[in-house]
Amino acid sequence: MKRILTVDDSASVRQMVSFTLRKAGYEVVEAVDGKDGLGKAGSEKFDLIITDLNMPNMDGIQMITAVRKLPGAAFVPILMLTTESQAGKKDEGRKAGATGWIVKPFDANQLVAVAQKLVK
Amino acid sequence: MSVATRAEILSTLARGGPALRAMATIVDHEIGSVARTFGVLARHAEEVLHLAAEMVACVENDKVSSVLPKVQSLGAAARHFTTSRLEATGGILEVVSAEVKLLRQLAQVANGQQAVAMEIKALSVLTNIEVARLGSVGMGFQYLAHELSAFSKSVVEDTQELATHTEGRRAAIEETRRVLSAEIPRLRHELMRIESDLKDALEVVAESLTQLATTPAKFRGCVEDIARQITAVVAAIQSHDITRQMNEHVETAFALIATRLSGAGDTADEIAQELPRSYAGLRIQIGQLQTIEETVTAWTSQIKVCMKDILRVSASEVSAMGRVVVDQERKVSAQLACIELLEKESQAYSEKTRHSVQGLTNLMQLVREHVQRQQSVRDRLRMLAFNSIIEANHLGTKADAILAISKSIKGISTTWSEITDQSAQALKEILALVQQSNEVTEAFSQSSTDTLLEAQAQTRAGLDGLRDAATFTGIRAREMTLATEKMQAKIKEVGATGEVLDEAFARSAAVLREIESLRLHLEVYYPWVRQEVDPQEAEDLFAAFYTTELERDVLRAVLLQTDLPAHQPSLAGNSVELF
Repeated sequence: MKRILTVDDSASVRQMVSFTLRKAGYEVVEAVDGKDGLGKAGSEKFDLIITDLNMPNMDGIQMITAVRKLPGAAFVPILMLTTESQAGKKDEGRKAGATGWIVKPFDANQLVAVAQKLVK
Repeated sequence: MSVATRAEILSTLARGGPALRAMATIVDHEIGSVARTFGVLARHAEEVLHLAAEMVACVENDKVSSVLPKVQSLGAAARHFTTSRLEATGGILEVVSAEVKLLRQLAQVANGQQAVAMEIKALSVLTNIEVARLGSVGMGFQYLAHELSAFSKSVVEDTQELATHTEGRRAAIEETRRVLSAEIPRLRHELMRIESDLKDALEVVAESLTQLATTPAKFRGCVEDIARQITAVVAAIQSHDITRQMNEHVETAFALIATRLSGAGDTADEIAQELPRSYAGLRIQIGQLQTIEETVTAWTSQIKVCMKDILRVSASEVSAMGRVVVDQERKVSAQLACIELLEKESQAYSEKTRHSVQGLTNLMQLVREHVQRQQSVRDRLRMLAFNSIIEANHLGTKADAILAISKSIKGISTTWSEITDQSAQALKEILALVQQSNEVTEAFSQSSTDTLLEAQAQTRAGLDGLRDAATFTGIRAREMTLATEKMQAKIKEVGATGEVLDEAFARSAAVLREIESLRLHLEVYYPWVRQEVDPQEAEDLFAAFYTTELERDVLRAVLLQTDLPAHQPSLAGNSVELF
């Protein structure tokens, strides 16, 4: 079963991501902030990472930058899931190594579709 | 601008921050609970959809749809079966009436024979007397006397047999007439009942099939509805995260305003210099709080509506499919049972009819044999009369009496011949009746019954399939009811959560009222605070920590004194942008 890591400081968002992706047949692991996400990304193998931008301890951009330096995680697709929609922020995310950007709230069907596209 | 006013502002801001934080804590907890409840609810919804899908597949199966043509065939066969039997019964009744007349004729024949037998017996006695009188000359007529005696005896026996049989037959015929007379109205009644029941059954089957035919489309509609509602709830629950962040930013802004105001210095002029920024900041926070209120109202009501809709969809017509199939099966079963009973009763009746026709055939056989014997007697009487007349003429006047007897025999022979003709005519008519009854009783033949039996067997097989479907959908419908009840319990939990959320959001409303009141106070007592603040400076000051475009739009609308953005976060969810 393909594994997805969802990183968000909002429990309800993590629940919705997990609910949507588990229903589509994925195994979903939750992390409560960037630091937790980085720790899990370093110790486990994931096929996709979905992360929030603004989080305590470590934000999404910092986490992506760090994850990209992890051995074996350089090419793992990473989606930003955030309330931010500014072009500048998106550019930051892209430069840090994000694969895509979703402005909250996400469309459940589209999230599943993009997960299917990115996780092969 | 007094220090007291500053203290009042700081006090209001100091109360607002914790109030918003307390609200956020409660809302976070409750939304977590809603999200968990929703997860369970969605699983139940999936379970209901799965059950409904199985039911839809079941009713789309040929087992259900093929019942209608089978019931139609059964109806046509039963109608034909009853109509043909009704016509045949009428035909047999005609045959029986004709047979009664024939039996009367045969009785007359028997009476005529009886008279002839008596006459022959008398002639036999007279011949014996004459033979005795003539002595040796009359010895030749002894054979005549003996023959006449034998004829008389044979005719008596034959006549008795015919009379006995016709009498027995007459009694049997009466019984047959009674049965047939009672059967005709019964069959007519059965026919009317079949027509009525069949019409009823066909209407029920056709109606339920029409209903079931639309169910798959309705079900697909339900699936789409539930999927849409689930997507909407997923988006609505995420919207909480947006309002949570906005709320935190209002709290941060309160702290910023308070810090700047506190640090502005203690003189009235120093405070007055900072006050327009504080005022602008308060107005921005009012705008943010109003937007939060609207957004929260939108997503909480969206969650409530969606969950209710999920429940409504789950308890919709899809769950009624089971009852429709069960009703259909019940109606067709009842109809089949009636037709099976009719067929069984007809079997017993057919037996009686066959027995009656067999009786007519037996009578025909008897009369045929009787006619053969009559013809034989007629021929021999003619021969006897002819020979005895020759012999009597040969003897001359001595045999005048014998000659007279011989002439009488000739006369009897003629009478007998007429009786024989009557019997032959009766035989002919019986033959015609037998043929007629064979034709009409074709309706009671096995081949005629076989058509009905075949239709019954097919309906029974169709009914077995329908019964399986009814059992299956009945079980699934019950399971759906259980799942729906569980969903209802979960919806109730969400209902309680809704009340908690409403109470929590009342804190935000209270903060908004206090800030509004503070704004009014400033506008009334320090109207100069309304002097414009550089929008860029205000944006740099207050938007630095914003994380949503909505907050920035609200800030600009407040600063530029335009309407607040009407847009709410899309509850349909946003799409993915891949780099």
